[in-house]
Amino acid sequence: MRIFTMLSKLNVIWIDAVTCYGCTHSFLNYKEISSLFEKVNFEYHPLFLSNDLEIKQCDLLIVEGALKNNYPRLGYSLNELISKLFFKAKKVLALGTCAVYGGMFGEGLMYNKEQKGHYYKCRDKIINLPGCPPHPDWIAFVLDMISENKKIALDDLNRPKDIFAYTSHMGCTRNEYFEWKIDAENFGTKEGCLFYFQGCQGPFTHSSCNKVLWNEVSSKPRAGTPCFGCTEPNFPKNDLFKTDTFMGIPANIPLGVSKRAYLTLSGIAKSLNNERLSCKLINYKCGDNNEDK
Amino acid sequence: MKINKKIINKIEGEATLKIEGDKKIDFVQIEFWQYHGIEEYLKNKNYMDALVINPRVCGICGHSHLHATVKVIEKVFKAKISKKAQIFREVTSLLEIVENHIKWFYITIYPTQIKDKEYLFKAVKFSSKISKAIAILAGQFPHNSYMVPGGVTCDPTYMEIMRLKDLIKEIKEEYIKEIMDENLTSHDLERFFENLPKDIGKSLNKFLVLGESNIFKSNGDYKNVKEERNKSLSKNALYNNEYYEVGPLARMIINKNKNIKKIYDIYSDSIYTRMCARIYEPLLLLDYIEQKLSEVDLCEPSFLKPNVRNGKAIVAVEAPRGSLIHEISIKNEKIDYYNIVVPTQFNLASSTKENPSPAQAALMNEDIAYVDSVFRCFDICAVCMSH
Ligand code: SF4
Ligand code: SF4
Repeated sequence: MRIFTMLSKLNVIWIDAVTCYGCTHSFLNYKEISSLFEKVNFEYHPLFLSNDLEIKQCDLLIVEGALKNNYPRLGYSLNELISKLFFKAKKVLALGTCAVYGGMFGEGLMYNKEQKGHYYKCRDKIINLPGCPPHPDWIAFVLDMISENKKIALDDLNRPKDIFAYTSHMGCTRNEYFEWKIDAENFGTKEGCLFYFQGCQGPFTHSSCNKVLWNEVSSKPRAGTPCFGCTEPNFPKNDLFKTDTFMGIPANIPLGVSKRAYLTLSGIAKSLNNERLSCKLINYKCGDNNEDK
Repeated sequence: MKINKKIINKIEGEATLKIEGDKKIDFVQIEFWQYHGIEEYLKNKNYMDALVINPRVCGICGHSHLHATVKVIEKVFKAKISKKAQIFREVTSLLEIVENHIKWFYITIYPTQIKDKEYLFKAVKFSSKISKAIAILAGQFPHNSYMVPGGVTCDPTYMEIMRLKDLIKEIKEEYIKEIMDENLTSHDLERFFENLPKDIGKSLNKFLVLGESNIFKSNGDYKNVKEERNKSLSKNALYNNEYYEVGPLARMIINKNKNIKKIYDIYSDSIYTRMCARIYEPLLLLDYIEQKLSEVDLCEPSFLKPNVRNGKAIVAVEAPRGSLIHEISIKNEKIDYYNIVVPTQFNLASSTKENPSPAQAALMNEDIAYVDSVFRCFDICAVCMSH
């Protein structure tokens, strides 16, 4: 189905539901934004220059933020505004973890955390782009694909596979430490995996944060911060800096393997005691310069 | 008297203005109806969770909320951090201020006078570079949690510091060329004022800086701040029971900046002076950041493990829009109480005609046609206001 006529730009209405505006600001880090504007017309956007909001048809409705009762927006109640626009739009993009699952502030469109949400029945129309916030390239990718009438391959939570077929563990600079079961017991080191002591959720979080690097340069785990699993329905879980364990064993293990296999493998890896990775990678000396001291 | 209701949006949320007066504004009430309830959400959570939740108060200045959060926890713990960690935190926080000012100028206030998308692209050109600079240390922007009690999570190499220094140099050179130079010459600012008087929007002429920071001197003690409910869902912030303006203009006046003083002597605390102060501030900050980065000693530790304690504390930091206060009480590693006072609560309080807040005072007696520009010259953050 063509969702818009080739001659015109993709007509987008972007609504700010209950949000911190992190998704918009993440999008504003997309360097090539001007070329995107050649394909996309933001009929209404909550921050940048656009027309006044009118309830009318559009090719794509973007909802940034969660749904919530008794929340005023633009002279309407928020949920009423979204439902008016939802049924007039040809496609709907739930942008960010709040819009997808509810996040911290309320309910999402298709999901309310892990449960079915208000618009679950209309899921054929929805693309989910979770992330708190979603990466600028992810947003640009979805807008570009839709504006080109290309079909986006989706996973079973309606998330684009190009982005969510990966885990945020993939491409992490600490992967070698994960392999040999060497964990960082403290913050502030280049060395060590953050899985066991710092609560990193990389191995079971669907996201390409360590593949499509953030702001072109880094990611949370690369900077020594655990992945908080911000693309998943239960974000934010409690005790974000702690690994959930069951009798000392991590409750969540890497996607796709059995717990028993994982434990056997970790036991062996640990006993091999990788020497190279057991010490500092670089030992900077104070007052380093060219002269030998 | 007829009351005109106007919803102002595109300010990280929206505010409703109830304007009394037909051509001239007699008085205006400012209302915010979007409440988020972050402080409630934090209750009974592990204190570390606040480092992830609090940046989500605001997508544009979340890093300032992170900074305030980590500082208030460290105050409870009596934690120490290395000079290196201190510098990194300062650098990324100040970069956030620079980015905010640019976005405010080109995205928030500029379109009230000039409708041209090119300025959005200009803002993005800068914001993407500044975010990249922050991400070199912090992993990503927005919404990182790289400041933790005891320091920072990152451990950069010399190579990363080199890239960061080069990027800052580039940003500064482009800023001087394309936005404002050291003599305060700004083509874009003058263009904004082509059809707008420069002396409108005069306010209370009372300034306040509360943040504990190395670059801005403060002139008050945040313990004297009180919050008060207004008629909407937001709270007013008062200092010794009086209204004060916080933000870049306050910082420039209290810190006796000579360049801004010259403009202030002509235009007083008008829209023009306020805008000049905000666009000029990044130049000072970028200089300071360059200097600080040259002081980094990578031999120092990034993190010193603190002792966890129970207790209460309160801190203030300077955020893009002014002084930001965080207060915490920790019991058995859990948050017992959390309170946040944001700069917009000072500037955009809604009070009476006899005792107006800075934004109310700036709007009173002005032509109704100028409402949008004058209101936005305070750099409103409705989402912070609605935390
Ligand atoms: S730090 Fe996290 S993402 Fe990186 S290797 Fe360890 S578990 Fe994976
Ligand atoms: S690394 Fe994890 S928490 Fe961070 S942005 Fe990616 S998915 Fe979210």
